[in-house]
Amino acid sequence: MAKYTPAVDMGLDRLSEMARGNFDLAWMDSNPQGWGHESKPGPAGLGLVQIETGHYAKIPETGSSHGSMAPRGCFVPEDTPSLGIYDMNDKGEVWSDNAAKLYDEAVTRQWNSATDVPWHKLEKLPDEIEKAVCQMCTGLTEVEFVAGDMPAKWMCHINHDFHEIKLFLATQIMDEARHMDVFRKRALANGGGLLMASPSQEELLAAILQAPNYTTASALMHIFGEGFVLTLFRTGEFLAPTEVEKTIFRLCMQDEARHVAYGVKHLKYFLERYPERVEEIHSILDAGEQAIFALTLEPQTIEPRAILAGNGMENIQEGMMKLAFLYNKQVKEYLHRLKVAGIEREPRMRIPKELPIGELAA
Amino acid sequence: MATGTIFPSEQWFAELARIMKENEGSYRELGAMDCTMVVKVDDCLHEIVFEGFGVKSIRKLDSLDQALPEHFVVEGPLSAWREMIENIRANGAPDLQHTLNYLTFPDDPLLVTGPDQLDIDGFYRFNESLQRFFNGAAAVATAYAG
Repeated sequence: MAKYTPAVDMGLDRLSEMARGNFDLAWMDSNPQGWGHESKPGPAGLGLVQIETGHYAKIPETGSSHGSMAPRGCFVPEDTPSLGIYDMNDKGEVWSDNAAKLYDEAVTRQWNSATDVPWHKLEKLPDEIEKAVCQMCTGLTEVEFVAGDMPAKWMCHINHDFHEIKLFLATQIMDEARHMDVFRKRALANGGGLLMASPSQEELLAAILQAPNYTTASALMHIFGEGFVLTLFRTGEFLAPTEVEKTIFRLCMQDEARHVAYGVKHLKYFLERYPERVEEIHSILDAGEQAIFALTLEPQTIEPRAILAGNGMENIQEGMMKLAFLYNKQVKEYLHRLKVAGIEREPRMRIPKELPIGELAA
Repeated sequence: MATGTIFPSEQWFAELARIMKENEGSYRELGAMDCTMVVKVDDCLHEIVFEGFGVKSIRKLDSLDQALPEHFVVEGPLSAWREMIENIRANGAPDLQHTLNYLTFPDDPLLVTGPDQLDIDGFYRFNESLQRFFNGAAAVATAYAG
């Protein structure tokens, strides 16, 4: 019976040859087209934008058929085995021209919730204000990591030749981990705690995670969901009772805007190649709009913001009036982002363009 | 008569750029910033181009058509800008009611516009760095145009 497996025996044979001075060295001249490449750092260091030039900037319309993790631009031996998992091989399905730039931006603009937030400046707040902040943080803790789970679901399907996209999505997952943890920390740090989860929110999250393909999921999450949340972060900064929340919302806002920028440019790229598929996008937005409208008006979503906007329970109705502005801004920016991507959504939109709080109150 | 660098002017923004350069380490902590901001004070326009961890260029514009294609505009009356700068100078940083986001979110007294929504989103993408840039005003003795 053989002592070793055939694979180990083959390795030992190679070792034996090398021990006699017989080296292969074929790898040294395997990729003449890719040799001699130089890159110089830009103003913010050596980014993907600086290195992906010439031979290495050739991004195929269809990802390599070898199906391995071999890096784009290297020589791939014929016997390289496929991993059998990359089935998103069409550039149009994932690409965005700003992905490399956004990745470079993301890696230098990372922050952490442990030391970049001035937690020592937390102060005792009136009970109703602390409850409103904690409820807002409960909702954000619940929703944020969908933007981690969604890319994670699709990343292992994306052909390795589109590594700019995978790298950018990896930064997004880290961003969302940070958002989830910073809102949880704020809820638990100041004498309050987590309050009520949101069933309506789960409907929107399900629509994102169960979207039939990556681009519809991206349109619903990056443009629609994260666009709305971006405005919520701006609102959070506006309503923040202390410098702690101000800092949290400003830092989160920056991350969210990167994700939105990827989503808009991806959808634009996709629709330029597949204009006939615009109906798929409209359909998923139909569902998303229904879900977010229900979510917006759920008591645990709107009431804490109304309390903060009114600066207390006694002015909650005045706060509601102010929130109409928030909704109107969310919808306006959503429609404008879709316009940049090439979609005229307004005639098709299934929710009011403006929240008629004033009319209803009258 | 008040003495100080006139706001708005190329010299005033150059002072902020100098302070940014002196404190480059703190901007490196926030990360790279590539964007173009146009500050509109009444009808007066200044373009500030950020690149990496500093300011690449500052120039006065005669009209928005002269601005780089991808830019956002932060605009408002001199009175609003003055109140923000005085608040920063009084406290060393803005209080809760004088941050850039606070002043622009309701579109009043300041407003953010741009060629398209993605350009406007640049203001959100680099907001913390932009805030720190304006916080430099705490160290600039300022006089006001008009």
